[in-house]
Amino acid sequence: MNSSSATPGRLDLRTLLQGQADKLRLWTQPGHSRSIVFNVAVIFLGAGLYGAAMGWWREPLQGFYVALKFPLIILLTALGNALLNAMLAPLLGLNLSFRQSLLAILMSFTITAAILGAFSPLAAFVIWNAPAMTPDVKSTLTYGFIKLLHVAVIAFAGIAGTVRLYQLLAELGGSKAVARRVLLAWLAGNLFLGSQLTWIARPFIGAPHLPVVFLRDTALQGNFYENVFATLKQLLGVN
Amino acid sequence: MNDLNPTGPIPPQLPTPTYPIRAPLGESPEEREPIPNLFAATEAVLRQPRRVMYHLRQPGSGRIVIAMLFVAMLCAAGYGVVVGTFSSGAQLWIAPVKIVGGLLLATLICLPSLYIFACLSGSQARLMEIVGLVTGLLLLTTLLLIGFAPVAWLFSQSTDSLAWMGTLHLVFWGIATVFGLRFLENGFAHTKARSNAGLMTWVVIFVLVVLQMTTALRPIVGTAETFLPQEKKFFLSHWGDSLKSSLD
Repeated sequence: MNSSSATPGRLDLRTLLQGQADKLRLWTQPGHSRSIVFNVAVIFLGAGLYGAAMGWWREPLQGFYVALKFPLIILLTALGNALLNAMLAPLLGLNLSFRQSLLAILMSFTITAAILGAFSPLAAFVIWNAPAMTPDVKSTLTYGFIKLLHVAVIAFAGIAGTVRLYQLLAELGGSKAVARRVLLAWLAGNLFLGSQLTWIARPFIGAPHLPVVFLRDTALQGNFYENVFATLKQLLGVN
Repeated sequence: MNDLNPTGPIPPQLPTPTYPIRAPLGESPEEREPIPNLFAATEAVLRQPRRVMYHLRQPGSGRIVIAMLFVAMLCAAGYGVVVGTFSSGAQLWIAPVKIVGGLLLATLICLPSLYIFACLSGSQARLMEIVGLVTGLLLLTTLLLIGFAPVAWLFSQSTDSLAWMGTLHLVFWGIATVFGLRFLENGFAHTKARSNAGLMTWVVIFVLVVLQMTTALRPIVGTAETFLPQEKKFFLSHWGDSLKSSLD
């Protein structure tokens, strides 16, 4: 059986969003390198547009920076964990090649990015209607609403991408139990690395009293989990 | 399986790893395919562990064992460099040397006891098969550590906390070791051992020895004036002290 004998057709957003796992499986086979370019392009476009809307509130330049940072975080998460994810899959019972595992993850991120891109006009509309940032912005209702909107949209997009990844893994492995195991292992790794990359790449929304920068001077000082730990200590009143 | 699309190639799926898998080794022709080089050995330990186990039982398995050991030490050294990037400078060579040396030493210390436990359990495994299984454990563990290396590197560049980095490396080593030990346990299940109580005891001993090695060879993550520590400590006491000084 040869992969080139299968004719999966052109990979398109519709196929991805519909989660036609049988078609998507063909796109993870060797000889379809254009699917990588397509995935990367959608990630840059979709996540970039949403990033632009997110940063626009502070200043257009901030929007431009976030438009670059958002897709980069997604791609660096996929690449940083690529080797680990490719090793974990066969160890957990799913015999995927390095290419297949990377493409499966890229496809799920592409779905997430496409959804983000689709919501970017909505986010931009909210930002356009929001009053300009003031020094006390963080205590305002608008700031809370915008933050919640971003959380809701990103969570929805992330969940949709994850559901599709699970369906693809079940198709590739033929077993839901194996798919679940691999998905959980991959999610844990991607969340762990993605959180830290996001921490390094801050700011996203930006703050009026801080300059507009691509990365803060303190980008590599401390990490996301240390910060969570310090906050917990503060909340619990532990010294 | 995969009836939805009969036109596409279906990758050969691994059996669901409900260990131990007790079907006789070498039953499938794929398992009997020779392992000609380092790359094949590396690939096989990840994707076809039963193929490795089968070949470890054949005459002349020493070549595979040496190949696996070489790759394992290479991976350990690679991860060691990543560990060394936290402190940089001399730690860039000290950490890999200590990690490679520590792993080899811990394995050598523990090997005789595993062989004795295997014999006591009624296992028919030859010494070379046992050595091969332990080498497989090391290879799988260090391969996974290489998989974790990009994440470990990112965190080592973003934090000054020795306790945090030490904990992270331990967690990564723990996860990698669980997979390595599954390989060992699965291989042991084919040696006709009556029980795996001896193996389980050995696993505890091995883990304790490796953990103590991290303290005996300290510092691996941080820096010190001397290559080896001047004071002897139990690993729990060392961790406690490190954590305390980090929180102060």
